[in-house]
Amino acid sequence: MQKILEIKDLRASVSGKEILRGVNLNVNAGEIHAIMGPNGAGKSTLSNVLTGHPAYTVLGGEVTFRGKDLLTMNAEERAREGMFMSFQYPVEIPGVSMVNFMRTAVNEVRRHRGEPALSAGAFLKLLKQKRELVEMRSEFTNRSVNEGFSGGEKKRNEIFQMAMLEPVLSILDETDSGLDIDALRIVADGVNKLRTADNACIVITHYQRLLDYIVPDFVHVLYEGRIVMSGDKSLALELEQRGYDWIKDSIDR
Amino acid sequence: MERITDNNLIVNIAHGENRDLLLLQDAGSRISPDVVLTIHQAGGSHLRLYVLTMPGCDVNNNIRIEQQGDGCHSELYILGIGTGSQHFGNTTHIEHQGIGGTSREVAKYVLSDSSHGTFYGMLKVLAGAQKTEACQTNRNVLLTTDAAVNTKPELEIYADDVKCSHGATTGQLDEAALFYMRQRGIDTQTARRMLLDAFMADIIDKIPDTSLTEKIREQIAETL
Repeated sequence: MQKILEIKDLRASVSGKEILRGVNLNVNAGEIHAIMGPNGAGKSTLSNVLTGHPAYTVLGGEVTFRGKDLLTMNAEERAREGMFMSFQYPVEIPGVSMVNFMRTAVNEVRRHRGEPALSAGAFLKLLKQKRELVEMRSEFTNRSVNEGFSGGEKKRNEIFQMAMLEPVLSILDETDSGLDIDALRIVADGVNKLRTADNACIVITHYQRLLDYIVPDFVHVLYEGRIVMSGDKSLALELEQRGYDWIKDSIDR
Repeated sequence: MERITDNNLIVNIAHGENRDLLLLQDAGSRISPDVVLTIHQAGGSHLRLYVLTMPGCDVNNNIRIEQQGDGCHSELYILGIGTGSQHFGNTTHIEHQGIGGTSREVAKYVLSDSSHGTFYGMLKVLAGAQKTEACQTNRNVLLTTDAAVNTKPELEIYADDVKCSHGATTGQLDEAALFYMRQRGIDTQTARRMLLDAFMADIIDKIPDTSLTEKIREQIAETL
């Protein structure tokens, strides 16, 4: 099975505080991994460290992405290598149109892969096709990036960008937060349609709800900066019923 | 659009007349360090004035716009780009004397290296100038810790039935937006240029001469 991501003993800090304290995780092609855990466990830190956010410092460990050392790459190199994060809080960029933003991003990724830039016509055709996949209305691509979008529209826009960039590994950081049930279903449908045997997905979520729609192969519990328990999708259901306290108790004891 | 080349000029705009004026200060133009420009607007006249200070120009602009008649409309767009040890400043005075006048002033600075910009903007509404609608905005982006701006937006209102607003903001490029763009594969330099383009667009896009705006964009992209 093709390895996509290997995390070994990853430790990281933000603002001088150690948050990740030895994370181990392997993700292979075709797999969906869910990472769950209580507030402050380090879920968002993990996604920020993997995508190369400059505010986070790696203290130790190794991360191999598609056979390459991930931690020596800057954020844009990781993205061009096929890593994508759906942001928990997508950023509004007034004055930068969605079309201009996406055309620049798609062509940077294509150049990295040794492919020629898309012509204007080919780009617009791709845009239309992917927009339909996530049921996004055309007016959104004519607006500034995320500006004035509702919470649901922002999340849908993240999945739209994922569809445009065709990443190898997608990290969905709390994609379900702030979504009503209809928006959740559309976002999950988009993710499921984009799933292939060659790509993989890490779903970071606080609640089991999203996992009814995006069914994981593995569920991991992150607690105090470590993955303390792993299982299949039934673990998510158990967490939903019993909460996190029984895990905390068994670890802290 | 008329290009202003004098450094000391009074422009009278006749009743109902419509004028577009440009003061472009760049390396190619003969620059005087001090510019004094006074504009008198008669009733019902329209003015659009663009003041563009390009990298390397040490200038002090003193701009006075008087709406002497009723129903005048004035738009003043100021863009200043500072590099190196450049110093530049704009002192503006927009005075509403007539009834029902409107004005809109937008001043934007982008300052890098150890450059320094000043903006003193006075918006004055005289006692008889009822139904005036006026707004003044100053926004500045500092690209380095050594760059600095002094801004003083002022409002003086002597009429009681007017709508006026003003505001000034100074900050850096949005770090969250930069990371968002990089996470999509856009390199830092391109992302910064896109954010600066967006910041300046609402002034540059107003200029009706598109061949000139292309030149200005290129000139800014080369230096920043």
